[in-house]
Amino acid sequence: MKLIKSKISRIIYQTFLWIYSLISLYPLVWMVFYSLKNNDEIFVTNPFGFPTNFRIENYINAWSRYNVPRYFINSLFVAFVTVLGTIILSVMFAYAAARLKWRLKDVARIYITLGMFIPVQVIMIPLAILVRDLHLNNTYLSLIIPYIAFNLSFSTIVFYGFFRTIPYELEESGYIDGASIYYTFFYIILPTIKPALATMIIFVFLSSWNEFTMALILISKESLKTLPLGLLFFQGEFTTDWGAMGAAMTIASFPTILIYLLFSEQVENALTVGSSVKG
Amino acid sequence: MHKYLKNKVAIIVFTLPALVVFSIIVFYPIIQTFYKSMFDWNGLGKGTFIFLDNYVRLLGDRLFYTSLRNGLIFAAVLVILQIGIGTFLALAVSDVTLKGRSFLRVTYFIPVVLSITVVCQLWLSIYNEELGLINKLMEQLGLSYRQHWLSSEKGAIYAIAVVNAWQYMGYHFALIFAAVKSLPEQYFEAARIDGAGKIKAHLNITIPLLYETYKFCLILAITGGLNAFANMFIMTNGGPGDATYTLTFLMYRSAFRVNEFGYGCAAAAVLVIECLLATIIINKLFGREQITY
Repeated sequence: MKLIKSKISRIIYQTFLWIYSLISLYPLVWMVFYSLKNNDEIFVTNPFGFPTNFRIENYINAWSRYNVPRYFINSLFVAFVTVLGTIILSVMFAYAAARLKWRLKDVARIYITLGMFIPVQVIMIPLAILVRDLHLNNTYLSLIIPYIAFNLSFSTIVFYGFFRTIPYELEESGYIDGASIYYTFFYIILPTIKPALATMIIFVFLSSWNEFTMALILISKESLKTLPLGLLFFQGEFTTDWGAMGAAMTIASFPTILIYLLFSEQVENALTVGSSVKG
Repeated sequence: MHKYLKNKVAIIVFTLPALVVFSIIVFYPIIQTFYKSMFDWNGLGKGTFIFLDNYVRLLGDRLFYTSLRNGLIFAAVLVILQIGIGTFLALAVSDVTLKGRSFLRVTYFIPVVLSITVVCQLWLSIYNEELGLINKLMEQLGLSYRQHWLSSEKGAIYAIAVVNAWQYMGYHFALIFAAVKSLPEQYFEAARIDGAGKIKAHLNITIPLLYETYKFCLILAITGGLNAFANMFIMTNGGPGDATYTLTFLMYRSAFRVNEFGYGCAAAAVLVIECLLATIIINKLFGREQITY
Protein backbone atom coordinates (compact mmCIF):
# COMPACT_ATOMS: atom_id res chain seq x y z
CA MET A 1 0.00 0.00 0.00
CA LYS A 2 2.72 2.38 1.03
CA LEU A 3 4.70 1.43 -2.06
CA ILE A 4 1.81 2.19 -4.39
CA LYS A 5 1.23 5.50 -2.72
CA SER A 6 4.84 6.54 -3.12
CA LYS A 7 4.79 5.42 -6.73
CA ILE A 8 1.77 7.55 -7.47
CA SER A 9 3.23 10.60 -5.78
CA ARG A 10 6.42 10.08 -7.76
CA ILE A 11 4.50 10.05 -11.01
CA ILE A 12 2.63 13.21 -10.04
CA TYR A 13 5.70 15.19 -9.22
CA GLN A 14 7.61 13.97 -12.23
CA THR A 15 4.72 15.07 -14.40
CA PHE A 16 4.97 18.49 -12.86
CA LEU A 17 8.71 18.63 -13.67
CA TRP A 18 8.02 17.96 -17.34
CA ILE A 19 5.07 20.34 -17.47
CA TYR A 20 7.19 23.14 -16.11
CA SER A 21 9.90 22.25 -18.58
CA LEU A 22 7.29 22.72 -21.31
CA ILE A 23 6.17 26.07 -19.87
CA SER A 24 9.77 27.21 -19.78
CA LEU A 25 10.73 26.04 -23.23
CA TYR A 26 7.63 26.08 -25.41
CA PRO A 27 7.28 29.88 -25.73
CA LEU A 28 10.77 29.92 -27.22
CA VAL A 29 10.04 27.02 -29.53
CA TRP A 30 6.83 28.76 -30.55
CA MET A 31 8.87 31.89 -31.36
CA VAL A 32 11.30 29.96 -33.53
CA PHE A 33 8.36 28.21 -35.21
CA TYR A 34 6.58 31.40 -36.10
CA SER A 35 9.80 32.95 -37.33
CA LEU A 36 9.53 30.34 -40.09
CA LYS A 37 5.84 30.79 -40.92
CA ASN A 38 3.75 33.33 -42.78
CA ASN A 39 0.88 35.19 -41.12
CA ASP A 40 -1.72 32.84 -42.51
CA GLU A 41 -0.04 29.88 -40.88
CA ILE A 42 0.65 31.69 -37.59
CA PHE A 43 -2.86 32.99 -37.12
CA VAL A 44 -5.16 30.52 -38.80
CA THR A 45 -3.97 27.26 -40.19
CA ASN A 46 -1.16 26.20 -37.86
CA PRO A 47 -0.62 28.40 -34.82
CA PHE A 48 1.05 25.86 -32.54
CA GLY A 49 2.91 23.27 -34.51
CA PHE A 50 5.98 22.75 -36.60
CA PRO A 51 6.17 25.03 -39.68
CA THR A 52 4.96 23.24 -42.82
CA ASN A 53 7.49 24.84 -45.10
CA PHE A 54 10.42 26.80 -43.77
CA ARG A 55 10.05 30.44 -44.73
CA ILE A 56 13.65 31.50 -44.57
CA GLU A 57 12.62 34.75 -46.26
CA ASN A 58 11.51 36.02 -42.84
CA TYR A 59 15.15 35.98 -41.81
CA ILE A 60 16.24 37.60 -45.05
CA ASN A 61 13.60 40.29 -44.51
CA ALA A 62 14.56 40.95 -40.89
CA TRP A 63 18.20 41.09 -41.85
CA SER A 64 18.00 43.19 -45.01
CA ARG A 65 14.95 45.42 -44.66
CA TYR A 66 15.43 46.48 -41.08
CA ASN A 67 18.43 47.56 -39.08
CA VAL A 68 19.10 44.20 -37.48
CA PRO A 69 22.69 43.81 -38.77
CA ARG A 70 23.56 47.26 -37.46
CA TYR A 71 22.11 46.45 -34.00
CA PHE A 72 23.87 43.13 -34.00
CA ILE A 73 27.26 44.64 -34.76
CA ASN A 74 26.72 47.39 -32.16
CA SER A 75 25.84 44.82 -29.51
CA LEU A 76 28.87 42.77 -30.39
CA PHE A 77 31.21 45.76 -30.34
CA VAL A 78 29.86 47.20 -27.09
CA ALA A 79 29.97 43.80 -25.39
CA PHE A 80 33.50 43.13 -26.61
CA VAL A 81 34.95 46.43 -25.40
CA THR A 82 32.99 46.21 -22.14
CA VAL A 83 34.40 42.76 -21.42
CA LEU A 84 37.92 43.91 -22.21
CA GLY A 85 37.69 47.09 -20.14
CA THR A 86 35.97 45.48 -17.16
CA ILE A 87 38.36 42.56 -16.95
CA ILE A 88 41.50 44.70 -17.28
CA LEU A 89 40.45 47.32 -14.73
CA SER A 90 39.03 44.92 -12.17
CA VAL A 91 41.79 42.33 -12.36
CA MET A 92 44.43 45.03 -11.82
CA PHE A 93 42.52 46.61 -8.97
CA ALA A 94 41.73 43.29 -7.32
CA TYR A 95 45.39 42.30 -7.53
CA ALA A 96 46.57 45.46 -5.81
CA ALA A 97 43.85 45.12 -3.16
CA ALA A 98 44.57 41.47 -2.45
CA ARG A 99 48.35 41.19 -2.78
CA LEU A 100 50.16 44.52 -2.61
CA LYS A 101 50.86 46.28 0.66
CA TRP A 102 49.35 49.73 1.13
CA ARG A 103 47.48 51.47 3.84
CA LEU A 104 44.03 52.16 2.39
CA LYS A 105 43.57 48.91 0.52
CA ASP A 106 40.61 47.67 2.56
CA VAL A 107 38.84 51.01 2.40
CA ALA A 108 39.36 51.16 -1.37
CA ARG A 109 38.08 47.64 -1.85
CA ILE A 110 34.95 48.20 0.22
CA TYR A 111 34.35 51.44 -1.65
CA ILE A 112 34.35 49.66 -5.01
CA THR A 113 32.25 46.83 -3.57
CA LEU A 114 29.49 49.28 -2.69
CA GLY A 115 28.55 49.33 -6.36
CA MET A 116 27.02 45.86 -5.97
CA PHE A 117 24.21 47.27 -3.90
CA ILE A 118 23.28 50.18 -6.13
CA PRO A 119 20.41 49.57 -8.53
CA VAL A 120 21.16 51.15 -11.92
CA GLN A 121 17.92 53.13 -11.86
CA VAL A 122 19.08 55.15 -8.91
CA ILE A 123 21.85 56.93 -10.77
CA MET A 124 20.09 57.11 -14.13
CA ILE A 125 19.21 60.81 -14.04
CA PRO A 126 22.60 62.21 -12.96
CA LEU A 127 24.30 59.78 -15.33
CA ALA A 128 22.26 61.01 -18.28
CA ILE A 129 23.13 64.61 -17.37
CA LEU A 130 26.80 63.71 -16.90
CA VAL A 131 26.99 62.03 -20.29
CA ARG A 132 25.38 65.09 -21.84
CA ASP A 133 27.77 67.50 -20.10
CA LEU A 134 30.81 65.47 -21.16
CA HIS A 135 29.50 65.63 -24.75
CA LEU A 136 29.44 61.87 -24.94
CA ASN A 137 25.82 61.87 -26.10
CA ASN A 138 25.22 59.24 -28.72
CA THR A 139 28.67 57.72 -28.82
CA TYR A 140 29.69 54.15 -28.13
CA LEU A 141 31.63 55.39 -25.14
CA SER A 142 28.47 56.73 -23.48
CA LEU A 143 27.37 53.13 -23.18
CA ILE A 144 30.66 51.33 -22.75
CA ILE A 145 32.05 53.39 -19.85
CA PRO A 146 28.92 53.02 -17.66
CA TYR A 147 28.78 49.30 -18.48
CA ILE A 148 32.39 48.94 -17.35
CA ALA A 149 31.76 50.98 -14.20
CA PHE A 150 28.74 48.88 -13.28
CA ASN A 151 30.45 45.57 -13.83
CA LEU A 152 33.57 46.58 -11.90
CA SER A 153 32.27 45.92 -8.39
CA PHE A 154 31.21 42.39 -8.98
CA SER A 155 34.22 41.24 -10.98
CA THR A 156 36.56 42.89 -8.49
CA ILE A 157 35.03 40.82 -5.69
CA VAL A 158 35.33 37.61 -7.68
CA PHE A 159 38.96 38.23 -8.64
CA TYR A 160 39.82 39.39 -5.14
CA GLY A 161 38.55 36.08 -3.78
CA PHE A 162 40.74 34.16 -6.20
CA PHE A 163 43.86 36.24 -5.56
CA ARG A 164 43.57 35.60 -1.83
CA THR A 165 43.93 31.87 -2.35
CA ILE A 166 47.27 31.78 -4.17
CA PRO A 167 50.56 31.56 -2.24
CA TYR A 168 53.01 34.45 -1.95
CA GLU A 169 55.79 32.17 -3.26
CA LEU A 170 54.63 33.16 -6.74
CA GLU A 171 55.62 36.79 -6.25
CA GLU A 172 58.76 35.68 -4.45
CA SER A 173 59.91 33.65 -7.41
CA GLY A 174 59.40 36.65 -9.67
CA TYR A 175 61.25 38.86 -7.22
CA ILE A 176 64.22 36.49 -7.01
CA ASP A 177 64.40 36.27 -10.80
CA GLY A 178 64.61 40.06 -10.85
CA ALA A 179 61.37 40.48 -12.78
CA SER A 180 59.37 43.70 -12.40
CA ILE A 181 56.09 43.55 -10.49
CA TYR A 182 54.22 44.09 -13.78
CA TYR A 183 55.96 41.15 -15.38
CA THR A 184 55.25 38.98 -12.36
CA PHE A 185 51.60 40.01 -12.39
CA PHE A 186 51.12 39.40 -16.07
CA TYR A 187 53.13 36.22 -16.64
CA ILE A 188 53.09 34.47 -13.26
CA ILE A 189 49.95 35.52 -11.40
CA LEU A 190 47.37 35.95 -14.17
CA PRO A 191 47.75 32.42 -15.58
CA THR A 192 46.80 30.99 -12.20
CA ILE A 193 43.35 32.59 -12.24
CA LYS A 194 42.32 31.48 -15.73
CA PRO A 195 39.09 29.79 -14.54
CA ALA A 196 37.97 33.01 -12.87
CA LEU A 197 38.79 34.95 -16.02
CA ALA A 198 36.68 32.61 -18.13
CA THR A 199 33.76 32.88 -15.71
CA MET A 200 33.86 36.64 -15.63
CA ILE A 201 34.22 37.01 -19.41
CA ILE A 202 31.00 35.03 -19.84
CA PHE A 203 29.25 36.98 -17.11
CA VAL A 204 30.17 40.42 -18.41
CA PHE A 205 29.40 39.45 -21.99
CA LEU A 206 25.90 38.25 -21.14
CA SER A 207 25.09 41.24 -18.96
CA SER A 208 26.29 43.69 -21.59
CA TRP A 209 24.59 41.90 -24.49
CA ASN A 210 21.23 41.94 -22.71
CA GLU A 211 21.39 45.32 -20.96
CA PHE A 212 18.33 47.43 -21.61
CA THR A 213 17.69 50.29 -19.16
CA MET A 214 20.93 52.24 -19.56
CA ALA A 215 20.84 51.82 -23.32
CA LEU A 216 17.31 53.21 -23.39
CA ILE A 217 18.32 56.37 -21.60
CA LEU A 218 21.77 56.96 -23.07
CA ILE A 219 21.29 56.08 -26.74
CA SER A 220 18.77 57.61 -29.11
CA LYS A 221 20.65 57.54 -32.41
CA GLU A 222 19.43 54.76 -34.66
CA SER A 223 22.91 53.80 -35.89
CA LEU A 224 24.20 53.24 -32.33
CA LYS A 225 21.37 51.14 -30.93
CA THR A 226 22.13 47.74 -29.51
CA LEU A 227 19.81 44.78 -30.06
CA PRO A 228 17.68 45.08 -26.91
CA LEU A 229 16.96 48.71 -27.79
CA GLY A 230 16.67 48.26 -31.54
CA LEU A 231 14.21 45.39 -31.34
CA LEU A 232 11.98 47.52 -29.18
CA PHE A 233 11.46 50.31 -31.61
CA PHE A 234 10.51 48.33 -34.61
CA GLN A 235 7.76 46.58 -32.78
CA GLY A 236 5.32 49.11 -34.24
CA GLU A 237 6.37 48.41 -37.79
CA PHE A 238 6.35 44.70 -37.23
CA THR A 239 2.99 44.17 -35.65
CA THR A 240 1.64 43.01 -38.99
CA ASP A 241 4.65 40.93 -39.84
CA TRP A 242 5.08 38.42 -37.04
CA GLY A 243 7.34 36.19 -39.07
CA ALA A 244 10.03 38.83 -39.45
CA MET A 245 9.61 39.90 -35.82
CA GLY A 246 10.14 36.31 -34.72
CA ALA A 247 13.16 36.06 -36.96
CA ALA A 248 14.73 39.22 -35.51
CA MET A 249 14.13 37.97 -31.98
CA THR A 250 15.61 34.60 -32.79
CA ILE A 251 18.70 36.27 -34.26
CA ALA A 252 19.09 38.40 -31.12
CA SER A 253 18.81 35.39 -28.83
CA PHE A 254 21.03 33.07 -30.81
CA PRO A 255 24.44 34.14 -29.41
CA THR A 256 23.51 33.89 -25.74
CA ILE A 257 21.65 30.61 -26.15
CA LEU A 258 24.60 29.19 -28.06
CA ILE A 259 27.00 30.28 -25.32
CA TYR A 260 24.73 28.73 -22.74
CA LEU A 261 24.40 25.42 -24.57
CA LEU A 262 28.16 25.21 -25.13
CA PHE A 263 29.21 26.21 -21.62
CA SER A 264 26.09 25.57 -19.53
CA GLU A 265 28.05 24.66 -16.42
CA GLN A 266 30.22 27.79 -16.59
CA VAL A 267 27.30 30.08 -17.41
CA GLU A 268 25.33 28.86 -14.40
CA ASN A 269 28.43 29.29 -12.25
CA ALA A 270 29.10 32.73 -13.66
CA LEU A 271 25.57 33.94 -13.04
CA THR A 272 25.17 32.41 -9.60
CA VAL A 273 28.65 33.13 -8.24
CA GLY A 274 27.25 36.38 -6.88
CA SER A 275 25.17 34.62 -4.25
CA SER A 276 28.22 33.90 -2.15
CA VAL A 277 29.25 37.52 -1.97
CA LYS A 278 26.07 39.53 -2.30
CA GLY A 279 23.99 38.14 0.56
CA MET B 1 60.38 41.19 -1.03
CA HIS B 2 58.41 43.40 1.30
CA LYS B 3 59.51 46.43 -0.66
CA TYR B 4 58.57 44.64 -3.86
CA LEU B 5 54.92 44.55 -2.77
CA LYS B 6 55.01 48.14 -1.58
CA ASN B 7 55.86 49.59 -4.97
CA LYS B 8 53.93 52.88 -4.88
CA VAL B 9 53.94 53.48 -8.61
CA ALA B 10 52.62 49.99 -9.27
CA ILE B 11 49.85 50.45 -6.71
CA ILE B 12 48.73 53.63 -8.43
CA VAL B 13 48.92 52.10 -11.89
CA PHE B 14 46.85 49.12 -10.76
CA THR B 15 44.16 50.91 -8.79
CA LEU B 16 43.72 54.38 -10.23
CA PRO B 17 41.84 53.49 -13.45
CA ALA B 18 39.18 51.48 -11.61
CA LEU B 19 38.84 54.06 -8.85
CA VAL B 20 38.45 56.95 -11.29
CA VAL B 21 35.88 55.22 -13.49
CA PHE B 22 33.87 54.01 -10.51
CA SER B 23 33.93 57.37 -8.76
CA ILE B 24 32.77 59.34 -11.79
CA ILE B 25 30.16 56.95 -13.13
CA VAL B 26 28.71 55.38 -9.98
CA PHE B 27 29.65 57.24 -6.82
CA TYR B 28 29.27 60.85 -7.94
CA PRO B 29 25.81 60.27 -9.49
CA ILE B 30 24.53 58.67 -6.26
CA ILE B 31 25.45 61.79 -4.33
CA GLN B 32 23.87 63.86 -7.10
CA THR B 33 20.62 61.91 -6.93
CA PHE B 34 20.18 62.72 -3.25
CA TYR B 35 21.41 66.29 -3.62
CA LYS B 36 19.29 67.13 -6.65
CA SER B 37 16.20 65.57 -5.08
CA MET B 38 16.02 68.79 -3.05
CA PHE B 39 15.89 71.02 -6.12
CA ASP B 40 13.25 72.19 -8.52
CA TRP B 41 15.37 71.30 -11.53
CA ASN B 42 14.59 70.82 -15.21
CA GLY B 43 17.94 69.24 -16.06
CA LEU B 44 19.45 72.48 -17.28
CA GLY B 45 21.44 74.84 -15.07
CA LYS B 46 21.41 74.64 -11.31
CA GLY B 47 17.71 74.69 -10.44
CA THR B 48 16.27 76.19 -7.27
CA PHE B 49 16.74 74.73 -3.84
CA ILE B 50 13.39 73.71 -2.37
CA PHE B 51 14.63 71.35 0.37
CA LEU B 52 12.08 68.57 0.97
CA ASP B 53 9.27 69.89 -1.21
CA ASN B 54 9.73 67.16 -3.80
CA TYR B 55 9.25 64.53 -1.11
CA VAL B 56 6.18 66.29 0.25
CA ARG B 57 4.77 66.40 -3.26
CA LEU B 58 5.57 62.71 -3.71
CA LEU B 59 3.59 61.87 -0.58
CA GLY B 60 0.59 63.64 -2.05
CA ASP B 61 0.95 62.06 -5.49
CA ARG B 62 -1.58 59.38 -6.32
CA LEU B 63 0.92 57.82 -8.73
CA PHE B 64 3.37 57.35 -5.87
CA TYR B 65 0.96 55.06 -4.06
CA THR B 66 0.09 53.18 -7.23
CA SER B 67 3.83 52.69 -7.75
CA LEU B 68 4.44 51.49 -4.21
CA ARG B 69 1.57 49.04 -4.41
CA ASN B 70 2.70 47.71 -7.77
CA GLY B 71 6.26 47.31 -6.49
CA LEU B 72 4.98 45.21 -3.61
CA ILE B 73 2.71 43.13 -5.84
CA PHE B 74 5.57 42.54 -8.25
CA ALA B 75 7.87 41.52 -5.40
CA ALA B 76 5.26 39.16 -3.94
CA VAL B 77 4.63 37.45 -7.28
CA LEU B 78 8.37 36.98 -7.80
CA VAL B 79 8.88 35.56 -4.32
CA ILE B 80 6.01 33.10 -4.62
CA LEU B 81 6.65 31.93 -8.17
CA GLN B 82 10.42 32.11 -8.44
CA ILE B 83 11.39 30.86 -5.00
CA GLY B 84 8.42 28.51 -4.65
CA ILE B 85 8.73 26.80 -8.01
CA GLY B 86 12.52 27.11 -7.89
CA THR B 87 12.66 25.22 -4.61
CA PHE B 88 10.38 22.45 -5.77
CA LEU B 89 12.23 21.93 -9.04
CA ALA B 90 15.70 22.15 -7.47
CA LEU B 91 14.88 19.56 -4.82
CA ALA B 92 13.31 17.25 -7.38
CA VAL B 93 16.15 17.55 -9.88
CA SER B 94 18.79 16.98 -7.18
CA ASP B 95 17.52 13.40 -7.00
CA VAL B 96 20.19 11.52 -8.97
CA THR B 97 17.83 8.70 -9.95
CA LEU B 98 15.62 11.08 -11.90
CA LYS B 99 15.57 10.46 -15.65
CA GLY B 100 16.40 13.35 -17.99
CA ARG B 101 17.61 15.64 -15.23
CA SER B 102 20.27 17.44 -17.27
CA PHE B 103 17.72 18.17 -19.99
CA LEU B 104 15.29 19.51 -17.41
CA ARG B 105 17.98 21.73 -15.90
CA VAL B 106 18.81 23.26 -19.27
CA THR B 107 15.16 23.98 -20.08
CA TYR B 108 14.58 25.63 -16.71
CA PHE B 109 17.56 27.90 -17.09
CA ILE B 110 17.39 28.93 -20.75
CA PRO B 111 15.04 31.94 -20.39
CA VAL B 112 17.58 33.56 -18.03
CA VAL B 113 20.09 34.17 -20.83
CA LEU B 114 17.57 35.93 -23.08
CA SER B 115 17.35 39.67 -23.43
CA ILE B 116 14.47 41.27 -21.57
CA THR B 117 13.28 42.90 -24.81
CA VAL B 118 12.96 39.54 -26.52
CA VAL B 119 11.14 38.06 -23.53
CA CYS B 120 8.71 40.95 -23.30
CA GLN B 121 7.99 41.03 -27.03
CA LEU B 122 7.50 37.30 -27.00
CA TRP B 123 5.00 37.57 -24.16
CA LEU B 124 3.25 40.45 -25.87
CA SER B 125 2.49 38.03 -28.64
CA ILE B 126 1.57 35.30 -26.17
CA TYR B 127 -0.88 37.64 -24.41
CA ASN B 128 -2.20 39.14 -27.67
CA GLU B 129 -5.98 39.21 -27.42
CA GLU B 130 -6.86 38.07 -30.93
CA LEU B 131 -3.87 36.06 -32.01
CA GLY B 132 -1.93 35.23 -28.87
CA LEU B 133 -0.88 31.80 -27.74
CA ILE B 134 -2.96 31.68 -24.59
CA ASN B 135 -6.26 32.80 -26.08
CA LYS B 136 -5.71 30.61 -29.14
CA LEU B 137 -5.08 27.68 -26.87
CA MET B 138 -8.32 28.38 -25.01
CA GLU B 139 -10.12 28.53 -28.32
CA GLN B 140 -8.64 25.22 -29.36
CA LEU B 141 -9.81 23.64 -26.14
CA GLY B 142 -13.27 24.93 -26.87
CA LEU B 143 -13.30 27.36 -23.97
CA SER B 144 -14.75 30.80 -24.49
CA TYR B 145 -12.32 32.14 -21.89
CA ARG B 146 -10.83 35.18 -23.56
CA GLN B 147 -8.80 37.46 -21.35
CA HIS B 148 -7.63 40.97 -21.95
CA TRP B 149 -4.40 40.17 -20.18
CA LEU B 150 -2.59 43.46 -20.44
CA SER B 151 -5.45 45.89 -20.85
CA SER B 152 -7.15 45.03 -17.59
CA GLU B 153 -6.51 47.66 -14.93
CA LYS B 154 -6.41 45.13 -12.12
CA GLY B 155 -4.74 42.22 -13.85
CA ALA B 156 -2.04 43.86 -15.94
CA ILE B 157 0.52 44.16 -13.15
CA TYR B 158 0.16 40.44 -12.37
CA ALA B 159 0.44 39.52 -16.03
CA ILE B 160 3.68 41.51 -16.26
CA ALA B 161 5.08 40.10 -13.03
CA VAL B 162 4.46 36.57 -14.32
CA VAL B 163 6.63 37.36 -17.35
CA ASN B 164 9.51 38.41 -15.12
CA ALA B 165 8.94 35.39 -12.90
CA TRP B 166 8.98 33.13 -15.95
CA GLN B 167 12.26 34.58 -17.19
CA TYR B 168 14.21 34.46 -13.94
CA MET B 169 12.75 31.41 -12.22
CA GLY B 170 15.70 29.48 -13.65
CA TYR B 171 18.10 31.76 -11.86
CA HIS B 172 16.62 30.97 -8.46
CA PHE B 173 16.42 27.34 -9.47
CA ALA B 174 20.17 27.33 -10.23
CA LEU B 175 21.02 29.07 -6.95
CA ILE B 176 19.00 26.64 -4.85
CA PHE B 177 20.16 23.65 -6.87
CA ALA B 178 23.83 24.58 -6.38
CA ALA B 179 23.23 24.97 -2.65
CA VAL B 180 21.47 21.60 -2.34
CA LYS B 181 24.32 19.90 -4.17
CA SER B 182 26.85 21.36 -1.74
CA LEU B 183 25.10 19.87 1.31
CA PRO B 184 26.89 16.93 2.93
CA GLU B 185 25.35 13.57 2.04
CA GLN B 186 25.15 12.30 5.64
CA TYR B 187 22.18 14.51 6.43
CA PHE B 188 20.05 12.69 3.92
CA GLU B 189 21.38 9.33 5.06
CA ALA B 190 20.38 10.14 8.60
CA ALA B 191 16.91 11.08 7.44
CA ARG B 192 16.62 7.91 5.40
CA ILE B 193 17.65 5.75 8.36
CA ASP B 194 15.06 7.51 10.48
CA GLY B 195 12.56 6.51 7.85
CA ALA B 196 11.51 10.05 7.10
CA GLY B 197 9.64 10.51 3.84
CA LYS B 198 11.17 12.57 1.09
CA ILE B 199 8.98 15.62 1.53
CA LYS B 200 9.36 15.53 5.29
CA ALA B 201 13.13 15.18 5.02
CA HIS B 202 13.33 18.16 2.70
CA LEU B 203 11.05 20.31 4.83
CA ASN B 204 12.83 19.52 8.07
CA ILE B 205 16.42 19.15 6.92
CA THR B 206 17.23 20.49 3.48
CA ILE B 207 15.29 23.74 3.47
CA PRO B 208 16.51 24.97 6.88
CA LEU B 209 20.09 24.23 5.81
CA LEU B 210 19.69 26.42 2.74
CA TYR B 211 18.98 29.44 4.81
CA GLU B 212 21.84 31.59 3.45
CA THR B 213 20.68 30.88 -0.09
CA TYR B 214 17.09 31.75 0.73
CA LYS B 215 18.19 35.01 2.25
CA PHE B 216 19.93 35.90 -0.98
CA CYS B 217 17.01 34.76 -3.14
CA LEU B 218 14.60 36.82 -1.08
CA ILE B 219 16.71 39.96 -1.30
CA LEU B 220 17.04 39.42 -5.03
CA ALA B 221 13.34 38.81 -5.67
CA ILE B 222 12.10 41.62 -3.46
CA THR B 223 14.51 44.33 -4.59
CA GLY B 224 14.01 43.09 -8.14
CA GLY B 225 10.26 43.57 -7.73
CA LEU B 226 10.59 47.02 -6.21
CA ASN B 227 12.99 48.07 -8.98
CA ALA B 228 10.87 46.71 -11.83
CA PHE B 229 10.90 48.89 -14.90
CA ALA B 230 11.84 47.37 -18.24
CA ASN B 231 8.95 44.90 -18.19
CA MET B 232 6.28 47.55 -17.90
CA PHE B 233 8.10 49.98 -20.12
CA ILE B 234 8.08 47.50 -22.98
CA MET B 235 4.78 45.75 -22.38
CA THR B 236 2.32 48.40 -21.21
CA ASN B 237 4.17 51.70 -20.99
CA GLY B 238 2.74 52.15 -17.51
CA GLY B 239 -0.82 51.60 -18.70
CA PRO B 240 -3.66 50.97 -19.03
CA GLY B 241 -4.00 54.51 -17.70
CA ASP B 242 -1.36 54.44 -15.02
CA ALA B 243 -2.18 51.02 -13.62
CA THR B 244 1.29 49.54 -14.02
CA TYR B 245 3.44 52.40 -12.76
CA THR B 246 6.38 51.56 -10.53
CA LEU B 247 8.78 53.89 -8.76
CA THR B 248 11.39 53.55 -11.48
CA PHE B 249 8.76 54.19 -14.10
CA LEU B 250 7.66 57.28 -12.20
CA MET B 251 11.27 58.42 -12.06
CA TYR B 252 11.75 57.78 -15.76
CA ARG B 253 8.59 59.63 -16.73
CA SER B 254 9.30 62.61 -14.46
CA ALA B 255 12.82 63.10 -15.73
CA PHE B 256 12.78 62.07 -19.36
CA ARG B 257 9.24 62.82 -20.43
CA VAL B 258 8.19 65.91 -18.49
CA ASN B 259 11.60 67.34 -17.55
CA GLU B 260 11.06 67.31 -13.79
CA PHE B 261 14.52 66.03 -12.98
CA GLY B 262 14.44 67.03 -9.30
CA TYR B 263 11.17 65.20 -8.75
CA GLY B 264 12.56 62.15 -10.54
CA CYS B 265 15.60 62.20 -8.26
CA ALA B 266 13.32 62.21 -5.23
CA ALA B 267 11.55 59.11 -6.58
CA ALA B 268 14.95 57.47 -7.11
CA ALA B 269 16.02 58.36 -3.57
CA VAL B 270 12.87 56.80 -2.13
CA LEU B 271 13.63 53.70 -4.18
CA VAL B 272 17.11 53.40 -2.61
CA ILE B 273 15.65 53.75 0.86
CA GLU B 274 12.98 51.16 0.07
CA CYS B 275 15.52 48.61 -1.18
CA LEU B 276 17.80 49.30 1.77
CA LEU B 277 14.93 48.79 4.18
CA ALA B 278 13.90 45.55 2.52
CA THR B 279 17.48 44.26 2.73
CA ILE B 280 17.81 45.21 6.39
CA ILE B 281 14.48 43.60 7.29
CA ILE B 282 15.36 40.38 5.51
CA ASN B 283 18.75 40.29 7.20
CA LYS B 284 17.08 40.83 10.59
CA LEU B 285 14.51 38.11 9.96
CA PHE B 286 17.24 35.69 8.98
CA GLY B 287 19.57 37.04 11.62
CA ARG B 288 19.72 33.99 13.82
CA GLU B 289 22.91 32.04 14.33
CA GLN B 290 24.80 30.68 11.36
CA ILE B 291 24.35 27.02 10.67
CA THR B 292 27.65 25.19 10.44
CA TYR B 293 28.26 21.74 9.18
